[in-house]
Amino acid sequence: MMTPAITACSGEKLPACEIRITQELIDAYASISGDFNPIHVDPQAAAASVFGGTVAHGCIPLEPVFQAIQHWSGAEALPPDTTIRIRYRAPSRPGDVIRADAQVAGEKFIDGRRSIEITFVCVNQQGERVIDGECDLVL
Amino acid sequence: MNPDFTYDTARLNEVLCESSCTVTAADVERFRRLMGYPETSPGQLPVVPPSMGLTYGLRLGWEHSIFPPGVIRMGDDDVFGVPARAGDQLVTQFRIVEKFERKTRKFMKYEMRTHNQANEMVCSVSFTALIP
Repeated sequence: MMTPAITACSGEKLPACEIRITQELIDAYASISGDFNPIHVDPQAAAASVFGGTVAHGCIPLEPVFQAIQHWSGAEALPPDTTIRIRYRAPSRPGDVIRADAQVAGEKFIDGRRSIEITFVCVNQQGERVIDGECDLVL
Repeated sequence: MNPDFTYDTARLNEVLCESSCTVTAADVERFRRLMGYPETSPGQLPVVPPSMGLTYGLRLGWEHSIFPPGVIRMGDDDVFGVPARAGDQLVTQFRIVEKFERKTRKFMKYEMRTHNQANEMVCSVSFTALIP
């Protein structure tokens, strides 16, 4: 069976995926990653920071992007040499629901290998852009 | 703070520290549950989600006090290689690859590259950070 990645057409939308941010999720991610930056895990310190409260590690609101690509491609891993460029636009906070909207932007050939370019935007429940970027899925 | 990691004294493109770990099935399941991945079927080895690769460099950075408190991650350039599996022995190396000032703000670009026991690259995570 051909995978969606092989039959990709420019403009094709990937399945939308989302994640609900909670302080418990942030704390658990801190435990796994070792990143106990006070802006993530210390409500008092974070309240006094420019953010005015705790914010999620950037990798948490990014997670739906990975899951959208994996659902779409039908593979649990990314093909080797896949690259992802990410820009963090705004913080994600406990209570936010982050949705990743991704679509196929086109394809190109790199050293004879086909590469599908996927663009993505992560938005919160208010439609505010929190992350955007591109992924080159090398086949 | 360790002068290897500060803006003014950091040396570029040298391996400044590294860490190693063995990926356990329990670690992978814990991450999968946390991020909402389906449970691994009984008898199957859980697959390490690519996004879990981002945690290895973060852990290294914080364990070695590389990142100053209050540092803000601005953007990533990440490359993924072979997938990691439970039982793999991973080594992550840390480098500072760039530092620059823009509008009086200081930025550093960190690179954390993770290899498996066969010296195959699992992932390379590079992120630019605003230094407080």
